[in-house]
Amino acid sequence: MAPISIPGRREAIEDQRAAGGGLAAVFPVHNPRALLRSFGLLPVEVWGPPSARGDRAAAHLQAYTCSLVRCGLSFVLAGGLDRADCIVVPHACDSLQGLGSLLLDFVKPSPPVLPYYLPRGERDVDRAYLTAEIESLAERLARIAGRELDRAELHARLDREEQADRAAAALIDDRRRLGLSNRRLYELLRSREYLPAERFCALADSALEARGEMEAAGVPVLLSGLVPEPASVLDALDAAGACVVADDMACAGRRIYRACAFDDPLERQAARLLSGPPDSTRDCSMGARVAHLCELAERSGARGVIFFDVKFCEPELFYLPRLQAGLREAGLACLACEVDLADALPDQILTRLEAFVEMLS
Amino acid sequence: MNAAGIGVDAGSTVVKACAVTAAGSRIWQHVELTEPRLEEQARRIAALAREQAGAAPLVATGYGRKLVAGAERAITEITCHARGVFAELGSGGTVVDIGGQDSKVISVGADGSVRNFAMNDKCAAGTGRFLEVTAARLRLAVEEIGAMALAAAEEVPISSTCAVFAESEIVSLIARGAALEAIVRGLHRSLVARLASLVRSLGIVEPVALSGGVARNPAIAAFLAEALGCEVKLPEAPQLMGAYGAALLALD
Amino acid sequence: MSIEGALRYYLGTGIGKGVLRFERLRNEWRLRHRAPKTSSPFSPPLSTSPWLKELISRHYLTGRYADAHRKVAWVTSGAPVEFLKALGYYLLYPENHGAVCGIRRRGEELCQAAEEAGYSRDICSYARTDLGSLLSGRTPVGRLPKPDLLLCCTNICQTVLFWYRVLAAHFRVPLVIIDTPFIYSTAPAHAVDFVQRQLELGVETAERVAGRSIDPAELERVTRRSREAVELWMRVLERARHVPAPITAFDEFIHMGPIVEMRGDRATVDYYRALLATLDLRIARGTGALKQERIRLIWDNLPIWYRMRGLSELLARHGATLVASTYTNAWGELAALIDPSDPMRSAARVYLHPILNRGTGHKLDTIQRLATDYAAHGVILHSDRSCKPYSVGQMDQRERLSARGIPALLLEADHNDPRAFADEQAENRIQAFLEMIPS
Repeated sequence: MAPISIPGRREAIEDQRAAGGGLAAVFPVHNPRALLRSFGLLPVEVWGPPSARGDRAAAHLQAYTCSLVRCGLSFVLAGGLDRADCIVVPHACDSLQGLGSLLLDFVKPSPPVLPYYLPRGERDVDRAYLTAEIESLAERLARIAGRELDRAELHARLDREEQADRAAAALIDDRRRLGLSNRRLYELLRSREYLPAERFCALADSALEARGEMEAAGVPVLLSGLVPEPASVLDALDAAGACVVADDMACAGRRIYRACAFDDPLERQAARLLSGPPDSTRDCSMGARVAHLCELAERSGARGVIFFDVKFCEPELFYLPRLQAGLREAGLACLACEVDLADALPDQILTRLEAFVEMLS
Repeated sequence: MNAAGIGVDAGSTVVKACAVTAAGSRIWQHVELTEPRLEEQARRIAALAREQAGAAPLVATGYGRKLVAGAERAITEITCHARGVFAELGSGGTVVDIGGQDSKVISVGADGSVRNFAMNDKCAAGTGRFLEVTAARLRLAVEEIGAMALAAAEEVPISSTCAVFAESEIVSLIARGAALEAIVRGLHRSLVARLASLVRSLGIVEPVALSGGVARNPAIAAFLAEALGCEVKLPEAPQLMGAYGAALLALD
Repeated sequence: MSIEGALRYYLGTGIGKGVLRFERLRNEWRLRHRAPKTSSPFSPPLSTSPWLKELISRHYLTGRYADAHRKVAWVTSGAPVEFLKALGYYLLYPENHGAVCGIRRRGEELCQAAEEAGYSRDICSYARTDLGSLLSGRTPVGRLPKPDLLLCCTNICQTVLFWYRVLAAHFRVPLVIIDTPFIYSTAPAHAVDFVQRQLELGVETAERVAGRSIDPAELERVTRRSREAVELWMRVLERARHVPAPITAFDEFIHMGPIVEMRGDRATVDYYRALLATLDLRIARGTGALKQERIRLIWDNLPIWYRMRGLSELLARHGATLVASTYTNAWGELAALIDPSDPMRSAARVYLHPILNRGTGHKLDTIQRLATDYAAHGVILHSDRSCKPYSVGQMDQRERLSARGIPALLLEADHNDPRAFADEQAENRIQAFLEMIPS
């Protein structure tokens, strides 16, 4: 089968520019992608990036701030987001809250900074609040884009995002037959962080069409955590003989939302952001997260769960003990690793991953 | 000699090698300090093993395991230590392996397989490195500090488990005139406290056994037994357990 | 809630209260008759200190027996508690319990207990102390009553969300979340509506658990007393504008117990009124908390609970003290927003606006305002490893303060985990900082 070609971030940005579109740099985790698209802005996510190193941010952030935020700020300081039309900073945790506030009050980068608050529940009041918050964001975006919110357009963009969710889910479900390494799988899944939904769908379709009959071998594992960076962790899993068959990463699986039907597209966008699988940054209950992980493992046949987290990430760290206890009770082995995004994967983590796979095989 | 399996444990401080018969008894062993050119060193040791013990499948372990040329398989020291200690003591339980760069606690099942494990995080707290750094600051040889700690009549508490913080804590203790022996005893206590936490985080399943080079320090076993409130067993050659386990795995 | 429970509650708290009153009288007598230490750089303790001790001890004493007789709620330090008070709940503040453990040097041991259960050393040390206490059953206050309800308000941090998720899973009791959207610049109307709506839902849950309905008159009464206490607290703090300051932020860290834990109680109002009178007496006599006050400093962030005395003595040796802090100020600055005639709407506004729920620029302004109002010579920013919302932004704040001629020191520590604090380095830095300040 022909290997699929995944466009890079730069290519996606240049294509968008060439077509006369704008760019929105967006920080993790939950973003109103459809809303941004409806204003002609392509959301390009900033998960670090690891290549930014944390050095420049050292004058603004203490060493105990997570590397995702440190790298992000370094990237801003290095001018990495200067070409964006705006920087969207969702409120996902205390550190991203601090980043948004620092950008607004002290760093003041040239693109306008748009923070928005994501409520931590799934109640009607949360949806009502988020709808108003999205509406306020839409007003700010309208000023930047120089055009009014087009409700029909937003509905259409939401349809495409929902389609892209289904495509991402299908990729993971059929993962064994895709003929992709772990690294390649995540390159494909994570291309959604910068590709327009329709391009991602086309890419996913070609990957699914190219699938073979043979199921890939490898010890089946479920990958949880924030983001698989440094990406060499995926190579390490490939080398150790593990096959990621299910995903609960904040950057991937936790953003496969449910389809939501509301007449008001702003409410539909709000409901969508609250409809994802249980997530630490949305403050879901311990029980809901354990149940979700168990279900993922059962459906995919994963024998163990690897939590791959960014050091100092409080939302993730608080859940670990009870999640692991719950999973072990269900007969699933667990491994928790913490890394700094910008560092090379330490030997200790490599050893841990390998030993875990040895233990499962 | 008629080796049936060879294990090479390319550790961060010391390279250990060992050969076993088909029945699993150790017939040959070799230990030397790790050299910066580990790849060459590993090739030489593998050749030495085959020359002296006979040609047999070889399993490499330790942080340099992937550099050992001619190895059938590279297996982590976690699986190897578990296997080695299991063979030595004849039962499952908990293996505490204190290495130069990292420490592991391994829960070993009744069949010698790894049930669960925990490792220290990236810093040197709870590892042999902690003692090395602090002993160097006190101008003491790392081999003598264990006996010194056990013989000390007094003990000063060291609150830092971090090697860097502990170093500065030592400086101020010396400035305040604390006895050297008392500081050394305190350092051991601090290291063991960190290890005991790691053990408890996994749940204590007896027997608890030590392995790894640092296990030769007598104060570690004594303090760990005290901290955990149970007996801590020591294999005959704790340093060799990784290589021994690797050699046994070469038989499979 | 059996007859036996009630008996134990009234007997236990009754006898206990008698003992505590006796202790207070004895301590007051000692304070009056003890010859002042001439070598100490400090003036004798505030004469109301024994009273404060009685107040706090009585609160924890009541807590020991509370769950046998009353409904108990565990709440976050910035939570809107007036409606729970009006429903007769006994309130326990895990953060304050954490601070008590810290002051009594039990923080490290309890943090370790949590770490052994798998909680990372990188999460908040209050949370680790509390979870460690929960898992090990150890506490310096005797016994903590089990909650019937958990109330978590995010206006201080997101940490409490996860912490209370753990508590909810542990105790299997209802968890009320009051999610207060972070205010980057100004609070939009929909954020106030959101908080108010959640408060109404919270009342419904609390009523259901308590088995009775809230009495609006009682809610108004509690809110009125809250406002009264908060106003008095603010006046207590403002007394430190006087030179020399009759009270220091070190004293305030201890004296803030009632405003955090017993806001809305009659006894709290009485206590702060007496404290205010004592401070006025000091001012009239020209007595400062420090005998020789040379350097006046502002403190930012939580106290370093396990080193309070050491730090206070270190500063005092150089004639320095803390005259104000953003932390103690946080419980006073919103007094004007409390409106007893509209308790729910005003609570929504008040609980949305604590300094910790506002931007880093707003905090800089607050620090600068405090420095001016309190005639301070410099600022110590406690960079608290355990409190990111409070600490992120401090590096820029320090920079801006220095640029505006206010010397500022960033002091790396942790509010409850002594293992993250290096005494020697800290002492060196503070000393060098004080030497830098012209006086």
